[in-house]
Amino acid sequence: MNPLTRAQKIQPHWWRKSLIAIVFGLTLTYGIVATFAWFGPGGIDAVMKVQFNMWLISLIWLPILAFSFLFKTAARALMYMLSANAVIYLLFICLWCLQ
Amino acid sequence: MKIRSDILRTYQSIHTWTGITTGLVLFIAFFAGSLTMFKPQIEQWATPPSQQLAPISSTQRDNLINQAISQYDKAADGFIVNFDGQSSPLTWYEKGGGRGFRLDDSLRHATLDDNGVIVTHISSTNELGQLIDQLHRTAGIIGKLGHEDIGVLVLGIAAGLYFLALISGVIVLLPTLVKNLFALRSHKGASRFWLDSHNLVGVLSLPFHLIIAWTAMVFAFHDPFYGGLSLVYGDKPLFEPRERGLIEYSVEELPSIETYIEQVSKLADGYQIRNMEFSKLSSTSPSLAVELVAVGQMMRGGYSDFIYLQPYTLKVNYSTINQPEDGIYGPVVNSLFALHFGNYAGGLGRWIYFSLGLLGAFLFYSGNLLWLEKRRQKQALQTRSSRVMSSLTIGVCLGSILGVVGAMLATKWLYLISEQINSYYLSGYYVLFFVAIAYSFARGAALAAIHLLKLLSLGCLLIPVSSLLTLIMPGLMPWTPADFNAGLIESMALLFSLLFYLAAKKAQHRAYYGERNSIWALEPHASKQPLKCQEHSSQQLGKLS
Repeated sequence: MNPLTRAQKIQPHWWRKSLIAIVFGLTLTYGIVATFAWFGPGGIDAVMKVQFNMWLISLIWLPILAFSFLFKTAARALMYMLSANAVIYLLFICLWCLQ
Repeated sequence: MKIRSDILRTYQSIHTWTGITTGLVLFIAFFAGSLTMFKPQIEQWATPPSQQLAPISSTQRDNLINQAISQYDKAADGFIVNFDGQSSPLTWYEKGGGRGFRLDDSLRHATLDDNGVIVTHISSTNELGQLIDQLHRTAGIIGKLGHEDIGVLVLGIAAGLYFLALISGVIVLLPTLVKNLFALRSHKGASRFWLDSHNLVGVLSLPFHLIIAWTAMVFAFHDPFYGGLSLVYGDKPLFEPRERGLIEYSVEELPSIETYIEQVSKLADGYQIRNMEFSKLSSTSPSLAVELVAVGQMMRGGYSDFIYLQPYTLKVNYSTINQPEDGIYGPVVNSLFALHFGNYAGGLGRWIYFSLGLLGAFLFYSGNLLWLEKRRQKQALQTRSSRVMSSLTIGVCLGSILGVVGAMLATKWLYLISEQINSYYLSGYYVLFFVAIAYSFARGAALAAIHLLKLLSLGCLLIPVSSLLTLIMPGLMPWTPADFNAGLIESMALLFSLLFYLAAKKAQHRAYYGERNSIWALEPHASKQPLKCQEHSSQQLGKLS
């Protein structure tokens, strides 16, 4: 492995990355959970699925928080997070219209 | 496994910061959580057996209930029928009762005498187990935000950070994981030994820790999470609203206990009924909570499952026992609770969770020590931040254990002065906890560690000694504990007394004969002048580490 140049290395950007992961990671999480809740197995009315969905939130959110520090810069983190949000909410809207 | 150095550095920082900010509260939560594995046993151990009235035969239960509700107003509102043989056959709260925890509940016990006539007496409840549970849930942080304890919310955030600490810890360890996992290098100096054992414990109990971090966060933040979900669900209600009753029932119409047993056994095959708690009997919303236990089953509550019934119509309002109509999600959700509570593998499972919990506490304690080692200066007086952190680590960790040991030790003596001892537990805990912290700051962590460990050893030793006194001097105290569980608690206290003593000896040795340039070093006493050669060799060890 060749030594990385400064520009290639991960920049810390602690506060910005954390904040991005907390806010947009959570909206991303809710997007995933919403898609699962409405269109996952059993649909929206499955027995006790509400509780399961609530448990899912932290199960998805925490790994997003943990791995968002792998983004090279805060700007990239923001870009990828927003894109992921856009994808999941578009998917949700598409499924909603199709049903 | 190779990982880029910048990734390692990033996650090393995350591990350090998340660990050092949450280690102390998590230590308390884990150590107290270990004890909650045996909460019913601790509560039973701490309650004078004289409070318990004689059992009655199952055919006499209805007779006892009828006499109680006709003679006592409070019993007509609600009562508890106990089936476990360790409690009085019938009890009801004269003061307090219901959910939540209070320190001054008073409970009336009832049984039948030989002529079939009701006999009762009043006692206060013992909340030692409940207080340890509260310490586990809040780390002893007092105060409420809305209806939630601030301590619970603090621990919820700590649980999230602790999840990050776990992930980052594993990432940092990955490159050397295979080579070094089982290497416990004691010859390379203290800091290497602490690091090796920290890593070993962390990796081996990783699944347990991931589960605990996740579930603890859910327990703390389920309300806001549901709040967000209500947006997802839109017009759909998250939960079916409970039907409001219109009819006011009268307590005389209650069916016999046998009726309930039949109804419940249909729903809970293989479960044993521990108790039935009737409440709000003369209202439009009467309720019956049946507490059930099964060995080797995943249970939704810490120690049991519940079925809630309408006591007059026998309609089931809610059950935590998996029913066929719960589909796939019900059993999964229930098992997540069980995975946190460790109630699915009987006594052995509880001992395993007890040990994992204590190892978890060790993980946070050793993490703090490693932080200190890393910042060690090559000089006798360490930096201010190191001194503060070491005093906090010793004061908070040992102080919280000391508080609980003090409460357990005081139990049997306190009953000599008062029936109502729960508030003494609470003030005793906080006095010991804060005195330990103050002492640690006043005298420095090195000396405080030795003294507090010795005190802990003594405190643990005095627990079985107190019980022994009750055996050889009958009449001295209101009871003589003789059952198996009580003996077990005493033996554990003895074992921990020994462990604390050995730890104190180790700490003492390190203070006087260990590396001089350490936060744990103490100036030798005139009488305990270290030998020149020992000092020399330990300095060499210091260079290696």
